[in-house]
Amino acid sequence: MSSSAVEAEAPDLVCQLDSVQGMVDALSAVRWKRHQDAVVELSEHGVVLIVEDTGCLQAKVYLQRELFVRYEYNAEGRPRFGVSLGLFVDCLNSFSAPGRSSTIEIQYPGPDMQLLVKSVDSHDACIYAEIRTRIPDTISWDYNFEPAGSTPLTFTVKSAALKEAIDDLEWPGSSIQIVIQPDPPCITFKGEGHGDLQVDFTYYVNTDLVIAFHCDRQVSYRYKYKFLRAITSNLPSSVIKDNRGSKLTIGRGGMLKVQHLVSVARAAASHPHIDSAGHQQPSRIAYIEFFVKSEVDEDN
Amino acid sequence: MKFKAFLTEHGVSLLEKRFLPALDKMGKICHLFLTRDHAIFLHNLLNGDGVQCIAQFRKQALFDDYRISSQNEDRIAFAIDVSLLLRAVRSSVSICTEFGNGPTANRLQIKLVKKLPLNCTQPMPFLTFETKGYKSAVVQDVPISKPLSRAEVLELQTALDLAQDLPQTLVQVPDLNQLQNFVERMKHVGDLLNVSISKYGDLHVQISTTLITLGAEFRKLLVIGEQAESPSDDRNLSAQTRSERAISRGDAQRVQVSVKHFSRSLQCHLAKPDCTFYGIASQGSCLTVIFQFFIPGTHQTDKSISLHCRLPVLDPGSN
Repeated sequence: MSSSAVEAEAPDLVCQLDSVQGMVDALSAVRWKRHQDAVVELSEHGVVLIVEDTGCLQAKVYLQRELFVRYEYNAEGRPRFGVSLGLFVDCLNSFSAPGRSSTIEIQYPGPDMQLLVKSVDSHDACIYAEIRTRIPDTISWDYNFEPAGSTPLTFTVKSAALKEAIDDLEWPGSSIQIVIQPDPPCITFKGEGHGDLQVDFTYYVNTDLVIAFHCDRQVSYRYKYKFLRAITSNLPSSVIKDNRGSKLTIGRGGMLKVQHLVSVARAAASHPHIDSAGHQQPSRIAYIEFFVKSEVDEDN
Repeated sequence: MKFKAFLTEHGVSLLEKRFLPALDKMGKICHLFLTRDHAIFLHNLLNGDGVQCIAQFRKQALFDDYRISSQNEDRIAFAIDVSLLLRAVRSSVSICTEFGNGPTANRLQIKLVKKLPLNCTQPMPFLTFETKGYKSAVVQDVPISKPLSRAEVLELQTALDLAQDLPQTLVQVPDLNQLQNFVERMKHVGDLLNVSISKYGDLHVQISTTLITLGAEFRKLLVIGEQAESPSDDRNLSAQTRSERAISRGDAQRVQVSVKHFSRSLQCHLAKPDCTFYGIASQGSCLTVIFQFFIPGTHQTDKSISLHCRLPVLDPGSN
């Protein structure tokens, strides 16, 4: 068989992952409702999964190729396919066994354009799955994120604190105002609905609740509560356990960008990727990004 | 109609720690069928659509001083709430351990009684647990159904006899926890499970819907009964092709069962069986799970205890 024939037959992607649970965690983080259609984009750099809601909310999961123990990319351009996120996550979850790290192989496309997943640990017990894919919808709204000015308006808070604040704001509900002011440096989440509730994150150099803060002028934007809730509603427990921070940036037109870091390391007991300081190498992290469109422009 | 017996220490621990928690998962109500030699817990034998579960004990496995008499060949059967039975046994155990004073000091007696409950005009049947502590005695009454009629007992006995046939091929599942863990997660993906079992020792479970096919294949399992040598050219095939070929050769059978039923049958692991076997009954009439128990400290089957489940087969054409 000539080498060109082999190339023509090779699937776009064959990759192996030794931490199914980490991938389940990362993908679950962008699962905010029961039925969600996701678009998966493959490239030589890794796999990106994108979900979107009513033109106002978009989330992306970046699984860089460094997360995989094997990553064979053979496609031209960037192949994309649509898949049901819930089904994909539930399916991957079936491959994960508590207390054991299981290695899986993911292949796209299969003979009928399916996404193929199989366990590769043992020859005498094998789990396999074939997931039907769709031709992806075109993304209906452009989430190009542009900085709001010369200095970025950004702050980093503990993910656990962000989740707690957003959970608390459920009570007033509907629409939440986020105000960032430079002096005193403070971020305020304000809800007005069935009563008022305000959560302030004050930036002190010595406390680690707000880890970073950059703001040169006061801005204020409103966001629908249900979209803010989606940002933290399915935050994996490992994010809280690892005491990670989430970075929030407000861009032009009040577009809110939220970034989480999710560990895709193997179970701690057999962890070869922790350096001497006890930190996981950055290559074992999946990046999650949310983009939320503001409700009303209120730029002061 | 009389029944009176003392539960042995071993019997109490079998029921409290293992069998009743397992049976409780199989369904709220079961029949307790008592004969001269056996006590049998039966789920869904008289109504056809659930998982049938049969736990049979020789009287010596649970009781001493076992006395039974009835006009129907000393057979008594009634329906009982498993969770209430478990609660009664548990609290008796806690009384025994609290006031325990030597092995013979506390004896847990159970008997069948008729009592007139408060605010009732008619006496009701109960299974009564009597625990004698150091200075006290505790009596617990577990309500039961009216004892089954002669005709109903006959029906139960017939159903029990019919449920004893063994599949021709049984495969042993080495790691029940692994299978259970997988099936629990699989439940989210679909409702119907295809199970195929081959004479080569392959167990293949699969959910297939329009959007997804998810399956697991366990190979080279221990086979009891009819077995065959696995064809060597099967090695590099996919699990699905391998099953199809085995079925077309007549070396495997496939049935479709409810994922919920399958997962429920796996709850029997709470009874801590030593071995678990799966098999498909002749003509694919049901999927049978047989749990085997060893005499403690040996690898010999404890013939005084048996537990098995029969999962109803769903007709793939009826959907």
